[in-house]
Amino acid sequence: MTTIVRAAWALLLPLLCAAAPVRADLVVVLNSRDASVTLLDRATGAQRGVVPVGKEPHHLIATPDGRELIVASAMGNELVFLDAASGRVTRRIANVPDPYHLAFSPDRRWLVVAANRLDRVDVYHAADYTLAKRFEARSIPSHIAFSKDSRYAFVTLQGSHELAAFDLGSLQRAWTMNVGRTPAGVVTSSDGRHLLVGVMDDHHVAVVDWQKREVVRKLPTGKGAHNLAPRGDGRHLYVSNRVENSVSVIDESTMSIVRKFDVPGGPDCMDLSPDGRELWITSRWAMKVSVLDLDAGRVVRQHPVGRSPHGIYVHKPAVGGAHAPQLVAAQSAGAAAPARTAGRRSRSG
Amino acid sequence: MPDALATLVGTLQAWLFEHAVLPVLAWAGALQYTEDAFNGTEEFVLGVLELALMMAVLIPLERWRPYERPAAGEGVHADVVYTLLHRLGLFPLFFFFAFRPLFDAAQAWLHLRGIPTVGLEALLPPLAEHPLLAFLAYLVLLDFAQYWVHRAQHRIGWWWALHAVHHSQRRMTFWTDNRNHLLDSTITDAILATLALAVGVAPAQFALLVVASRVVESLSHANVRLPFGWLGERVLVGPRFHRVHHAIAASPRGDYRGANYAVLFPVWDVLFGTADFRRDPGPTGIDDQLAGRDYGHGFWAQQWLGLRRMAGRG
Repeated sequence: MTTIVRAAWALLLPLLCAAAPVRADLVVVLNSRDASVTLLDRATGAQRGVVPVGKEPHHLIATPDGRELIVASAMGNELVFLDAASGRVTRRIANVPDPYHLAFSPDRRWLVVAANRLDRVDVYHAADYTLAKRFEARSIPSHIAFSKDSRYAFVTLQGSHELAAFDLGSLQRAWTMNVGRTPAGVVTSSDGRHLLVGVMDDHHVAVVDWQKREVVRKLPTGKGAHNLAPRGDGRHLYVSNRVENSVSVIDESTMSIVRKFDVPGGPDCMDLSPDGRELWITSRWAMKVSVLDLDAGRVVRQHPVGRSPHGIYVHKPAVGGAHAPQLVAAQSAGAAAPARTAGRRSRSG
Repeated sequence: MPDALATLVGTLQAWLFEHAVLPVLAWAGALQYTEDAFNGTEEFVLGVLELALMMAVLIPLERWRPYERPAAGEGVHADVVYTLLHRLGLFPLFFFFAFRPLFDAAQAWLHLRGIPTVGLEALLPPLAEHPLLAFLAYLVLLDFAQYWVHRAQHRIGWWWALHAVHHSQRRMTFWTDNRNHLLDSTITDAILATLALAVGVAPAQFALLVVASRVVESLSHANVRLPFGWLGERVLVGPRFHRVHHAIAASPRGDYRGANYAVLFPVWDVLFGTADFRRDPGPTGIDDQLAGRDYGHGFWAQQWLGLRRMAGRG
């Protein structure tokens, strides 16, 4: 009977903790296997609450005005909007089938959603979240990036080991190319010329000249190279190596690996603190969030969260009352503001 | 305590996954299955802990206040084999994950054509915001289905030939819950997994639903006199209620066709006129065993005989 009690508690707890006070230094963690998000205090790591958001929330993104977060509930088939500062649920949009990863185009015209389970890429009008186009995408569409001019959306296809491009001007599929075994995270380089793709089963990051549709370099970051997050300085990218339990740093100017940190528990999605000194990382297997002190070069804290924590967002307070543009879930490097200025966009992986 | 248990499960799961499962996936170039494998590891850990808990609680209880002392009938060794096969994440979860791609493909086909699919939480939106209610709703729905599946197991001749393996244990203990012909388990689990997927049960929910169901089923098969009380017997299936279902008197050629088919909630038997709260259970088994009919001693013999009888031979 104890198992039932535990299950009941696990499900009841979110109900008891649904409300959270408004505070600026918020960290939001998606517990993909608990159908909830954990709200953490960034300074202390203390839990402020757990909010139910629907089944299998994997990724989140801030709205273009930066006021809300959109949590994609993949099996709940809905988008759940949270207040970006408090984590409070503000609204829901139902009948969005299987939203796994999601991203706004840099011109803020489109919201692109990768339906990982249903093998589709859906393009929505960002203004009103109505469907513009639905593409079949076999198989297992995973993560999304854009060309800097917003013309193309790029999506990794884990099951078919491909990178696919969709023309957002004509709303037509543009091309697909092989990119390596089980590609996951993808970001656009700061100069917009390359795409960097975490290729999990080949344990490297593939540097793709997307205009030539060619892999021009392979950076062996570590086993299970998975997701990427730009530092926001236009030069450095972090790469989580989920099997090796490490995070690598890539210098875009030389396209080389310049550093590696040990991060336990299956590092997955990442987001920087507003001062750029801490990288917050979901440790997927360990039910924890790891805080990597980038100056010290080691994980200095771990905070318990829910089961299989995946997407993460570290709130960046707005400067002078203005909200910064927040566009892509961990992908479009070119759109990022410098790391140590406030008001950077959100990211998850 | 619940937090401590959740931490224990998570810690064991993480250790096992990182040290045993993930290296194999990386070696095999199969990291696209990482999340399924991680979830499967949790089911395995839950199965081990659940089994340990059942043994720790029910073995002493069965010794303390048994319905019958282990004098007659065959031993429980085969039932232990069945339990390990079924409980360590093998059967229901296999079907859930085996069927999931088929359902995903069907859903993808429908969505591409703009045809919405129906999930329980889509029909009842408040359930999406109240996970405990959703869990209970799914539990009730699946139990309702199990009641009718169970009645069919007794009603349909070839299916009874398989299900008889379960009823042929004359020394019923908590291990007997999983004494099922593998084809019987295959059919019932496939039906339940199909239903669960059709109504939108997520993998994490399904795992907990399975665990909740198995804990109650272990208890209801246990050879222990537990006072559930008048109300308790009508709320949850307990050892006395289910032992009546297994009683020789309730077997197909006995003095009545059967009673107490419910798996978790006796309300189904009450609603559909098959409840028996009065009868003393008496000995368990199938009536023709008294006339010498053999249902096999040991796992392989039971499997073989079940198949032969399903085909109308033997």
